[in-house]
Amino acid sequence: MNKWDILKLAYRNLWRRKGRTILTTLGVVIGTASIVVMLSLGLAITENQRKNMERWGNLNIVRVMAGMRFDDKGQPIGAGKPLNDEAVAEIRSMQGVVAVSPAYVFGGEVRMERKRGYIQLVGIDPSQMQALEFKLSQGRYITPEDKNAIIIGYRVGNNLRDERELRRMMASKGRAISTKIMSVSRPQPVEPAELLGKRLSLLSSPSEGNPMDVRPLVNLEVVGVLDEKDMQRAYEAYCSIDELKQIKKMFEKTMQPAQKSGIPRQRNDPNQPGPDDYQYIMVRASDVGEAKRLSDALKRAGYNAWSMADSLEGIEKQTRTMRAILGGIGGISLFVAALGIANTMVMSIYERTREIGIMKVIGAAVADIRILFLSEASLIGLIGGTLGVGLSYVISYVMNDLGLRFIGMPGPAGPGEKIMVSLIPPWLAIAALGFAIAVGLISGVYPANRAARLRPVKAIRMDY
Amino acid sequence: MENSGKPVIQTRSLTKKYRLGQEIVVAVNEVNLTIPRGKFVCIMGVSGSGKSTLLHLLAGLDRPTKGEVDFEGYNLSAMSENQMAAFRRKYMGFIFQTYNLIPALSALENVALPLLFAGVPQKERDKRARELLVQLGLGDRLKNRPSQLSGGQQQRVAIARALINHPRVVFADEPTGNLDSHTSKEVMELLTRLVYERGHTLVMVTHDPNVASYADFVFHMRDGQILNGG
Repeated sequence: MNKWDILKLAYRNLWRRKGRTILTTLGVVIGTASIVVMLSLGLAITENQRKNMERWGNLNIVRVMAGMRFDDKGQPIGAGKPLNDEAVAEIRSMQGVVAVSPAYVFGGEVRMERKRGYIQLVGIDPSQMQALEFKLSQGRYITPEDKNAIIIGYRVGNNLRDERELRRMMASKGRAISTKIMSVSRPQPVEPAELLGKRLSLLSSPSEGNPMDVRPLVNLEVVGVLDEKDMQRAYEAYCSIDELKQIKKMFEKTMQPAQKSGIPRQRNDPNQPGPDDYQYIMVRASDVGEAKRLSDALKRAGYNAWSMADSLEGIEKQTRTMRAILGGIGGISLFVAALGIANTMVMSIYERTREIGIMKVIGAAVADIRILFLSEASLIGLIGGTLGVGLSYVISYVMNDLGLRFIGMPGPAGPGEKIMVSLIPPWLAIAALGFAIAVGLISGVYPANRAARLRPVKAIRMDY
Repeated sequence: MENSGKPVIQTRSLTKKYRLGQEIVVAVNEVNLTIPRGKFVCIMGVSGSGKSTLLHLLAGLDRPTKGEVDFEGYNLSAMSENQMAAFRRKYMGFIFQTYNLIPALSALENVALPLLFAGVPQKERDKRARELLVQLGLGDRLKNRPSQLSGGQQQRVAIARALINHPRVVFADEPTGNLDSHTSKEVMELLTRLVYERGHTLVMVTHDPNVASYADFVFHMRDGQILNGG
C-alpha cells in the first residue's frame, strides 16, 4: 500500500469524525501550548539574566585574583599563587586561552582643567586589549609609540568635581574635615566625549593631609573611551603596565614618610605577594563554556580564579530546576492529551471494527491497518502540535506585551532593549512539534495493534 | 487460464470446532469438497448449518481446526496472516449480505479500495473502477456515498469491488439476503452474467432456493456436513 494513499485515507477518516477529532486535537493544542509557554517563561528568565551578566562583564573573561583562594562554599582554603610573570607565562600556556594580560592597579587623583577627581588606573598589556574584548565607543587603542596614553571607562568623568567648590568648602569648614570633603562635594560629571583628547594630570600625594597642596606628576592623554555597555570597566582607566609601574614609583617618592610606613614589607615567604606582583590577571577564553572550564582549571592549578561564567552556571542551575518544574506542569497537560488521543483511537476502533474487518477481507495487510491507525494518531499530533506551537507564539507575544506594561519600565539595558517574559527559540518550537507528533504516534501504538490484530471474520460479523 | 482442468479449490476432511460456553460446536465436520473451475457453486443450508463457516474456511478468513484447504495448489492453513492478505488481494473477491461498503468512501473509492491495498497507482485505480461501475449501470453514481444508494445499487458496488482485481474465485455470502425479490433477481442475473463473461469461479452461500437455482452445482449442508457428496 502506497504511503501517500494511507495518509490520505487517514486524513479522511479523521475528518469523518469532525467533532471528536477537533476535541482531541484541541487537547493536543492545549498540551503543546502549555509545555511551550511554560518552558518559554523559564527560558526568558535565563536569557534576561544572561543579558544582564553580559552587561556586567564579558562572559568569556576569567579573572585571576591575588590573595586568598576560596572553595565553592566561599570558605578560604589558603593563599593563591603569586601573580608574577611566571604566573602569566603559565596561564598563557593553558589550553583554551586566547589572550592574557596582567593587571597592575594604582589609584590616584587627577586634574583636568578646573575639575578634579579620583581615578583607578589599571596597567595592562596594551597589545592584548582588543583580544580581551575592550570595545571602544570613541577614540583609538593604545599603540607602542604612545607615551602615557590612557583609555578611560565610559563613566570615569562622573567622578570629577569642580575644584573651586572644593576650595570654598575648605575655606569655610577648615582642614579638619578635609578628607570628608571629597566625598561630600557633588560630582560634576563630564561627558566621555569631552574627555577624549584631553590631558589628565596625575597629582602627587597631598602633603600633610591638605588636599589643595598637590602638584602634577605626569600628564596622561586620553586616546580612547570604552563602550558604554562595558559596565564592569566603566570607572577604570587603562594604560600600559610598564608606564604605570614607573608612575607608581614616582608617586611613592612624593609620599610622606608616615604614609610610606603603612605599607607592610614581607618578602620571606615566596607565596606572599611581592610589591611588584600584579593585582590580577585577565584571561580571555574562546567562549563561555571554555571560560568555565578554564576557570576550574585555574583553580586546580592553585589560582584564585573567577569568571562571570561561574555565576552564570549557578543561575543556570537554578533556572534549570525551574524550567523542569514549569515544563513538568506543561507536560501533564500534554500527557492528558495523549490519553485523549489513545481514547479517541480506541473508540474509533470500536466504531470501525467492521470496516477494519472489511479492509482485511479485501486484502489489507496487518501492517496496512497498523500504519493507517498510527497515521491517524500522528496526524492528530501533527495538527495539534502545529496549532499548539502557533498558539504558543500568540500567547508569548501577548505576555511579553502585557508583561512590559505591568512592569511599566524598560529592560535593564535601557530603552532599546525589552525585558522578556516569554521566549520561544526555534529549537523549542521544533522540539515541541516533534514531541506532539511522537505523543500522537505513541498514543496510537496500542489502538493500532488492537486494530491490526482484529480477526476479519469476527469483525465483519459484528452487527450494529 | 492455466490448469483449467483442475478444480480451483479442494478440501480434505475440513473441520471447524467452536467452544460455545461449555459446549463444543462442530460447525464444519469432515468436509471434502471440490469446487470446479469457472463454475457457479452454491452451498445451501438453513441457518446454523455451518455454511458461512465453510465459506470463511474456503476463503482463508478463518483457520480450520482440522483438515486442509487447497486453493490453486496452495495450502491456505500454512500461510501467515500477511501472506493470506496478499493472497486474498490477488485471487479472491467477496460479496456480503450487508454489502459491507465503507461508509466514508464514494462508490468509486469503495470499488478501487482493493487496488489501493495492492499498491496500484490512483489514476489506474480510478480508471478501472469507473469502467467496472459503468458496466454495472452505476456510471452516474460514482461519487455517491453508500448511504446515498439503494440496497440494489450498494450490492452492485460491492460486486464491482469483488471483481475489480480479476479474482479466481468470488465468494458471496447471502448476497441477496437484504434485497427484495425483484432486486434479488436483477442482482443475481447481473452477477452470474459477469462471472461467466469474465471467467470467475463463484462460490455462494444461501438459504434461498431461488438464488440457488442460478448455480451450476448446489451442495446441501446440514449440521456441518455436505449431504450430497462433493
